[in-house]
Amino acid sequence: MTSNPAVDREPAVVADAVTPAVSIEGVTHEYAAETGRVHALAAVDLTIAPGEFVSIVGPSGCGKTTLLRAVAGLLEPASGAIEVFGAAPQIARRDRALGLVTQEPGLMPWRSVEANVQLALDLAGASGSASTWLERVGIDRYAGLYPAELSGGMKQRVALARALAVEPRLLLMDEPFGALDELSREAMRLELLAIWERERVSVLFVTHSIRESLLLSDRVVVMSGSPGRILDQIDVEFPRPRTDALLSEPTFIEAERRIRDLLRTAV
Amino acid sequence: MQGASQIETPAAAETVRGTAGPSMNARVRSWLAVGLPPLIALVVLVVGWEFWVREREVAEYLVPRPSAVLEALRDDPGRYVTAARESLTAALAGLTVASFGAFGLAVVMAHSRLLERALYPPALLLKLTPIVAVYPLFAIWFGFGLWPKVAIAALITFFPMLVNALIGLRAVDPAALDFMRALDASRWRVLWSLRMPSSLPYVFAALRISVPLSLIGAVVAEFLSGSSGMGQLILIANGDFDTPTLFGAIVVLAALGVALTGIVAYIERRVLFWHESMTGP
Repeated sequence: MTSNPAVDREPAVVADAVTPAVSIEGVTHEYAAETGRVHALAAVDLTIAPGEFVSIVGPSGCGKTTLLRAVAGLLEPASGAIEVFGAAPQIARRDRALGLVTQEPGLMPWRSVEANVQLALDLAGASGSASTWLERVGIDRYAGLYPAELSGGMKQRVALARALAVEPRLLLMDEPFGALDELSREAMRLELLAIWERERVSVLFVTHSIRESLLLSDRVVVMSGSPGRILDQIDVEFPRPRTDALLSEPTFIEAERRIRDLLRTAV
Repeated sequence: MQGASQIETPAAAETVRGTAGPSMNARVRSWLAVGLPPLIALVVLVVGWEFWVREREVAEYLVPRPSAVLEALRDDPGRYVTAARESLTAALAGLTVASFGAFGLAVVMAHSRLLERALYPPALLLKLTPIVAVYPLFAIWFGFGLWPKVAIAALITFFPMLVNALIGLRAVDPAALDFMRALDASRWRVLWSLRMPSSLPYVFAALRISVPLSLIGAVVAEFLSGSSGMGQLILIANGDFDTPTLFGAIVVLAALGVALTGIVAYIERRVLFWHESMTGP
């Protein structure tokens, strides 16, 4: 685990090396569905250290997206406590400590690529430059294009640039590469890996790809559904910087099998 | 806002059109392919009509020759211009008032389910009531000038805009909304930067419906008041059995409808350049 030397810029959220980026305690959640109440989450506890990259893997409907949305303050859990940098998610949101990337890029189609990133800067009242961030995710050439003219992978790069541009201390990613073809997916993973190893923000990364979680994370949280709960947490100790060469190493394949077995026995 | 982002990146807009748009020649050809067949059909119809009336010696007060209609238009164009201006003023004033009013109401309703539940049924009632029936009341309230006509044109165009704007303001990309919420964007900011632009395709769809409706509203009001505009021109020509003038008035009204719809379509193409409906041929 790497701890980020704290950069103090927010008054309400705590920015030191010991306050967890995310602290989840006894969080439960239910949905009303046609078949009655659905237990989306049952007593989930999870802590993410500052600068840590944590992935959640699990089958569809295991509550991983619900958990991420609760951390973002986009939904209120039925019970339990969530803190982001020692404050409520709403405070973290107010202090612009959060960056969100979802499976659908959610770009504004009437804005150019650059104007999309600029919108994030404007909303956050940040002074950064949009073009710098486009350069960092490798799409500065497309700054003037509109989303409709971009491939899925390019759109996700814009979404990533937009999330990073406000310099969040916690990046929340919900299957960000889930809608991409396999090749773009691999390219984006490596891209994200390189960016994260440079920026070292805390990341909560939701995916259903075991490989993706192992390649990217410091720790993999394995979840199971109905009701959503944490089966196990696995520390991933492959040295960084990591490359895709890691994918074919026996220890990697072994770790992959271990998680797969865990998920299989749970179902 | 759209305008601003276009101006910011003129080079980009150039690229877009340069790479995506067909060459000049191809564009002219595609226009011809679309425009030529109906044009030929129209010419054949008019010429056939002219011959038929001449051959059969049909009485002019029943069906005039197209050339007689043209003469009527040429004899006193000022008459048509004045009448068209009066009708157009009423139609556009009504359309403008209704569009802004309906959009404003849609914004309110989009933010409050309670207000939506309270205000939608009365708005629907407005739609289901035959608006012309209200005209005598408007004549009592507003007299016989411009305002009752504006009111009719406004009432008739209000509902399409309200419904479309409301749907449009709600039809936001949930991922884009989540992104804005994660950055703690205010309701106003979400309205301005996400809901309003998202509603534009629906607003233009409403305008395409409303523009001809507003003309109908104005002319019907003129029929009822008999005081001005194309409606009055038609009434007078009708009383005189002056069928060529009657046809002339219809031609002018049709041309107005086509022109207004064309203007809306043109603006729509410029404003909604980013929308999927505009990327097709």
